[in-house]
Amino acid sequence: MVRASNVFVGDRGRRTRRLLIAFTIFGFLSLICAVIAAGWAIGQTRDYTFWVNHTYKVEQAIADFRVAAERAETARRGYLVNAQPRFRMNYDQAASTLEPALDRLAGLISDNRAEVARVGVLRNGLAELQQRRARTIALVDANRMGDAIRVFREDGSGALMDRMRTVAKDMAVAERALLAQRDADQQSIFLTFEIVLGVAAAALLLVIVLTALTMMRYVRDLSSTSERLADLNESLEDAVNERTADLTRANEEIQRFAYIISHDLRAPLVNVMGFTAELDAAAHSVRELIDHAEKIAPNIVTEEARLAAREDLPEAIGFIRTSTQKMDVLINAILKLSREGRRVLAPELIDTDALVGKIGETLQHRLDERDAELIVKHPLPEIVSDRLAVDQILSNVIDNAIKYLQPDRPGRIVVSGRIEGIRAIFEVEDNGRGIDPRDHARVFDLFRRSGPQDQPGEGIGLAHVRALVYRLGGVIDVTSELGSGASFRISLPQTLIKAQDDRK
Amino acid sequence: MNDHRSVSIVMIEDDEGHARLIEKNIRRAGILNDIRHFTDGHSALDFLYNSPQGPALNGPALVLLDLNLPDMSGTDILARIKDDASPLKRTPVVVLTTTDDKVEIQRCYDLGCNVYITKPVNYENFAQAIRQLGLFLSVIQVPEVDG
Repeated sequence: MVRASNVFVGDRGRRTRRLLIAFTIFGFLSLICAVIAAGWAIGQTRDYTFWVNHTYKVEQAIADFRVAAERAETARRGYLVNAQPRFRMNYDQAASTLEPALDRLAGLISDNRAEVARVGVLRNGLAELQQRRARTIALVDANRMGDAIRVFREDGSGALMDRMRTVAKDMAVAERALLAQRDADQQSIFLTFEIVLGVAAAALLLVIVLTALTMMRYVRDLSSTSERLADLNESLEDAVNERTADLTRANEEIQRFAYIISHDLRAPLVNVMGFTAELDAAAHSVRELIDHAEKIAPNIVTEEARLAAREDLPEAIGFIRTSTQKMDVLINAILKLSREGRRVLAPELIDTDALVGKIGETLQHRLDERDAELIVKHPLPEIVSDRLAVDQILSNVIDNAIKYLQPDRPGRIVVSGRIEGIRAIFEVEDNGRGIDPRDHARVFDLFRRSGPQDQPGEGIGLAHVRALVYRLGGVIDVTSELGSGASFRISLPQTLIKAQDDRK
Repeated sequence: MNDHRSVSIVMIEDDEGHARLIEKNIRRAGILNDIRHFTDGHSALDFLYNSPQGPALNGPALVLLDLNLPDMSGTDILARIKDDASPLKRTPVVVLTTTDDKVEIQRCYDLGCNVYITKPVNYENFAQAIRQLGLFLSVIQVPEVDG
């Protein structure tokens, strides 16, 4: 139930977080859209303003041209009627502005092909007109007024002028039409901008509302979760205390069990052994009696009685003795193991290099006997643990390695160590006879051994080692192939934390 | 010899077999003192404190005590005997038991036990220990009970 509600809260929180992120992203996107739309609208407006301005400039240029053309025409006519130099000056002045005015206009409308064509017409017309005007002006200059007026009447410059007026007017109209078109475009741009802005604002508003709602729900969930968490914490502490108490009780139960075994199993053994010895002594007397009787009166000693006294009794007594001795050893082993669990651990900083060195010295004569060498790969990691326990673990494992070396090759036992996270790993590797993989779990069991039983021992060492390793909060395992050595790997916490049940 | 005979041996041992073996070996060591055997704590305490033949009222004694008894713990009996207010507090107590638990041994000595002997499963050792105890009995001076 606890786990289920945790999952629920986690799922809910994750979903809320995802929703919030989605809302935020959506809000930002709307904002970005609005900003882009605004930028686009501003750009369009700037363009529009530019083009409106342009239209006015074009119109102005057209007007300038037309005014100059009219002025030039008026001045020419004035000159023709009244050949005063004032008119001649006016004409020159107006005529000289015509060309630049047309150039300016051409420069302004260079992007519009239709207008460029019209300007071309204007330019040709102007050239023609100027030529004709120049002829009449030249005739007036030569005082041939009659000729001049005749030429003026015949050269059709009036019609030409009309044509040019029409073209200029067309241009102005076209420009106006363009302006109207741009105006309409501008209106639609504003409309689009307003729509985009409206949509973005609506989206933002929606995001704000949804985010606020989600946040409120999240906060509500959070507060209820923290309340539940506090409840759980309290009950967890209770649960831990309860478990610890259970463990302590179980441990005490085991201690009592060991005590009962030690007393109640040994007490009958004392009797069995004691009375077997008494029986032995009695059998001895009986044997003497049989011997004596055989000498004095052989006929009263039956074959059965002789066999019983000389063979059956000693044999039975011998078996009883070896069995009881064996049983005593086993009981002592159980006792030793259980007692190890009761010893108070004393963590201290251990120089494992020195420790293994000392173990090597103690086992030196056995190494020499077996023609073996012990190689320690320095440095071994330092650990804070119970010195006696670590010493017993490593001694037992190394001793085991020496015990089960292959007799036909020189022994080589390598001790190495390293740190892995918060654990120290020690490895004892040998090139001995190895352990059948089927027996890997079994070798750590009490009274269980593997391979040929050619070495002394009761199958206690590794069981003892494993009990100690567990006690120190570690694990031990073995990798081995039959015939190619074994490698024992001991993983211990770098720092032993004393458990509560260590209190006396 | 008369002297020693006056010291009676009180054996509190629930296992009849052990009691028999202990007695046999004490006798083999040449000790002829009177041996009173009790298989439970209550009758033993009753004898020690209240019986007219018991050590509290009549003469010195030596107590051979097994720790595991059916009705009460041997250490309780030891504590009763060695209590400051007990008339038997100077009576030597030999704890003879199967447990060689260090804590248990320490506790017995703390309570005032005079000798602690573990019953070995190996009979020769056991017999040896009892015979030596017999020799020990033959030389110790057991104090008179104070009143």
